[in-house]
Amino acid sequence: MLILDLGLNALVTGVVLGSIYALVALGLAITFGLLHIPNVAHPAMVIGGSYAVAISNSYGMDPLVAGVLWAIPFYALGVILYEFYSRSFESRGRGNTLQSLTLFFGISLIIEVGLVVAFGTDLRSIRAGYIGHSLTVGFIVMPYRFLIPAALAPVVIFLLWLYMTRTNTGLAIRAVAYEERALQICGLDPAAIKRHAFGIAMAMAALAGAALVITGPIDPFAGRAHIGRVFAVVVLAGMGTIPGTLVAAILIGVAESFVMTFLSPSWAPGVAFAILLATLGLRPNGLFGALR
Amino acid sequence: MSRIIVDRLVAGYGAVTVLRDISLEVGAGELVALLGVNGNGKSTLLNCILGFIRPRSGRIVLETQGRTVDLLTRSPHEITNLGIASVPEGRRLVPNLTVEENLLLAGGGPRGRKDIAANLAFCFETFPILAERRRQYSSTLSGGQQQLLAIARALMTSPEAIVIDEPSVGLAPIVVGQVIAAIRALQEARNLTILMAEQSFFQAIEVASRAYVLSHGKIIREFDQTSAVGDAEIRNAMMGVG
Ligand SMILES: Nc1ncnc2c1ncn2[C@@H]1O[C@H](COP(=O)(O)OP(=O)(O)OP(=O)(O)O)[C@@H](O)[C@H]1O
Ligand SMILES: [Mg+2]
Repeated sequence: MLILDLGLNALVTGVVLGSIYALVALGLAITFGLLHIPNVAHPAMVIGGSYAVAISNSYGMDPLVAGVLWAIPFYALGVILYEFYSRSFESRGRGNTLQSLTLFFGISLIIEVGLVVAFGTDLRSIRAGYIGHSLTVGFIVMPYRFLIPAALAPVVIFLLWLYMTRTNTGLAIRAVAYEERALQICGLDPAAIKRHAFGIAMAMAALAGAALVITGPIDPFAGRAHIGRVFAVVVLAGMGTIPGTLVAAILIGVAESFVMTFLSPSWAPGVAFAILLATLGLRPNGLFGALR
Repeated sequence: MSRIIVDRLVAGYGAVTVLRDISLEVGAGELVALLGVNGNGKSTLLNCILGFIRPRSGRIVLETQGRTVDLLTRSPHEITNLGIASVPEGRRLVPNLTVEENLLLAGGGPRGRKDIAANLAFCFETFPILAERRRQYSSTLSGGQQQLLAIARALMTSPEAIVIDEPSVGLAPIVVGQVIAAIRALQEARNLTILMAEQSFFQAIEVASRAYVLSHGKIIREFDQTSAVGDAEIRNAMMGVG
């Protein structure tokens, strides 16, 4: 009976954690999954979002409201960053993956150092009415600080999926990495589409930052623990799928949770890497990857 | 109604000059064929008109609705939005979008947006096979179906002119006839201005009202009445022996 209880608890915890992972990976599902830009700075951007939300929260703003509001300046930052990226690499035809990786690795470090200089290395947390309370159903106890960000993920993913499938700009974002010339002969400017998509990805970093800082305190380097996992989520889901991100993230969350419960918490960080390697070896297109 | 005028165009790649002093004109509502064998610069010329290649010198202008627009200062998507659609070499469909999504991508742009429903209905009516395959990824269509989709996509932008690059390439002879016939029917139904590059001139001159022959980057012949010209004469011109 104890095993069953433990198992059920691990399952619920895994689903909740996975849902939060999906939110953290969502921006990368756009930049890497759709635009094919290896944005390793995404987790650092998410932590940047967490700090932005924490600042607003210190003036009494609800963290989720702050996340939504910060999404707007983050969008603008993303547009500027993409412009910088494309001017330094893509437009000169020198955009190889290694150079892009180096650039985004550098950006990641700059964000971290910037956060250290501005806020120090102390843990930073937020205040909200629901933090410290839990929902109890039977023997399962789930703190609201996990439940609320987890509930946000499906909503955001559903809205993003609608945008990507029902709007002209959404179709263009899905097309741009495959056939730029198709966009041009459809009367659309590929550079503008990519800027916009990168902006949306950064807006997602603000939302994910809010979610992450609700779950617990963060420090400037908190993004590092997520780098392997966000790539694992996007690759397992399959490049270019938005709803697949949720499924893949939950699978990884559940796997981690079971390893933590039944093996050892110290193995949990390896789970995502194992899944990443297994996916690349066994099913390189991921679970829901578009053909080709 | 629009007219495309190319005037003393010189273009090439790096140190290589491909087009030397090209002048031609496609009148409003005219279907003009651009004939030439492999590697004579047909695609280069069409890509200059579409803004993908910047020529070294010369002029390309579009006359539309009483104004004259210099195309050389415009980028490709702006040229599309001026009413010149493209059916490109290699078709350039988006492989990871469905047939319908490929059409909607074109139809939702600035120019076709207000007529998107009517344009989509027209495309599905004209090419029933595309309606049947609307939920299929474009990469899973046959070559002929992909060519029809590329043509339908061009129509979705509500164009006045269409530049078509070798619609027959890679298609079985019987399909070539269907594709060319479809182009002709559309041209008449919508009174489009069409410039069509071809090397299998046989079908092209059936439907074209005029033809230019491009050889080694120059226009070497111009046929004003393609119906009155014998096949042998055109073939010889294309081979540079006429
Ligand atoms: N991107 C490029 N860089 C360098 N040279 C090129 C490039 N594209 C074409 N060329 C050269 O320019 C010449 C004309 O090519 P183009 O594609 O315009 O010919 P074409 O008439 O369209 O031929 P085809 O019937 O085979 O499509 C060829 O000699 C080709 O090798
Ligand atoms: Mg060609």
